Amino acid sequence: MAVLAVSDPRPLAAPPPPRRPFTGLVGAVEGIGFAALTLVRLLGLYLRILGGRARLDVPAFAAALRQSGLSILPAITLVTLAVGAILGQQAGSFLRRFDVPELLLLSTTYAVVMELVPLLVGILVAGRAGVDLAVRQANLSVSGEVDGLLAIGIDPIAYTLGPTLLAMLIMSFAFAVWGGLMTFTAAFLWLSLETAVPPALFLDAFTSVIAPADLLQAIGKPLLFALLIGLIATVNGTAAGRDPQGVGAAATRTMIGAVAAILLADLAVIVLTGR
Amino acid sequence: MTNALELSGVFQHVGGRCALEAIDLVVPQGSWLLLVGRNGAGKSLLARLVLGLDAPSAGRVRVLGQDLQGLPRGALAALRGRLGAVLQGGALLEGLSVIENLVLPLRARPGGRAQLARAARLVIATLRLDGLENHPPRSLSLGQRRQVELARALIHRPDLLVWDGLSDGLDPAAVRDTLEVLRAQRGNRPLTLIATDNRADALGDGCDQVAVLERGRLIFDGSPAALTAALPQRLDLRYVLTGRP
Repeated sequence: MAVLAVSDPRPLAAPPPPRRPFTGLVGAVEGIGFAALTLVRLLGLYLRILGGRARLDVPAFAAALRQSGLSILPAITLVTLAVGAILGQQAGSFLRRFDVPELLLLSTTYAVVMELVPLLVGILVAGRAGVDLAVRQANLSVSGEVDGLLAIGIDPIAYTLGPTLLAMLIMSFAFAVWGGLMTFTAAFLWLSLETAVPPALFLDAFTSVIAPADLLQAIGKPLLFALLIGLIATVNGTAAGRDPQGVGAAATRTMIGAVAAILLADLAVIVLTGR
Repeated sequence: MTNALELSGVFQHVGGRCALEAIDLVVPQGSWLLLVGRNGAGKSLLARLVLGLDAPSAGRVRVLGQDLQGLPRGALAALRGRLGAVLQGGALLEGLSVIENLVLPLRARPGGRAQLARAARLVIATLRLDGLENHPPRSLSLGQRRQVELARALIHRPDLLVWDGLSDGLDPAAVRDTLEVLRAQRGNRPLTLIATDNRADALGDGCDQVAVLERGRLIFDGSPAALTAALPQRLDLRYVLTGRP
């Protein structure tokens, strides 16, 4: 005797589209939690690499250095040279009205080293490396490549953010030093052509303003910014879920979020350290 | 003999609907299971649960002797190192070439470049992917992509291979050739295969066990011979397998 159909012959209903991660108020809290977990996993990964229990993905690291680092060197150079020239021009016109070169050079040097160059480097790294990372992460999520990585035992964080953030940290440090030098050089040359300020005054201003603690902060800020950019890009890239439209949204949110975070973090550092 | 896979009381809810319901399934080590069902029956969801890509809403998933629930991330990654996966959708990394995709599972493991290259060459020759090594995945046909995915899944000699959509994008000859490769691997060591398809004969005579899914419920689990014997009496099975009651 035939068993009557257990199955329902009607066509199967399409499942509702999956919810995009980290949306809404609860999603924002989830995003912060995800960023914190990502940070912990990253630190764990770097410690394992240092301890020889994991390997740095060298090809991915080299690609990240090339794509996210060296490719913005021309932009960093151009922007910092332009800023230096603008500062030189402004300082020159100020000096023609008020003869206080020591004071002017001190304040300009401080502003350049402590604020201007770290912020410029942070914004440019966010615009290039941060957006690149977010789009890459989003594409991995949208295309299902994350599943492919997980299925073969590779942690997507170790594959994407691990090498990229390391490259961003190294390049941010290098850019902060390079950008500072470019700004100073441009400002010095411009001011030397415009006014009769002796070069020794520049050197005095630099050495008297830049105490070791200041220098540490000036170099530490771009590293902090790079870390924030990496985490924001990862959260926004992951938030794309399976929605192809999420890729563009991830890029936009990363740029806006990273710039806001950089400025707020800078303010927090200033308030907390009193410098 | 130990079991490669044990599912007990597995439920999975997706978007508010019950997509898998009270699934109990055991696959012995070295066995080849074909999971059959219509589109949307829950085959891919089940494959994702086996790979630990999703957690079940309820129930227990035990793979190669380890409960996936509560398994630490590191242990899960290590377990996945013993699994091979061919997934539906784009699981190849578009930013990498075919050869770079192939060696990806080995990159984080001990062994030098020469070892990676040797393993890649072997699997490329076995699956007849010569000439595609430096192509980006987007330049491949669907069938070629599936073969590259299969090659990547086999490169580290997994104990359990999950192949979602066995004949997707592959012509019958390519499926037959690929199964020959798997049979050859099976001769050397026990390789458990869990394949999904919408045809009950997709695995040919290599199939040891067939499970039929319909609307998230397991309506048959047994040998191919038992399925053949049950078909005249089971309208539901006939409907799923032939599209006619």
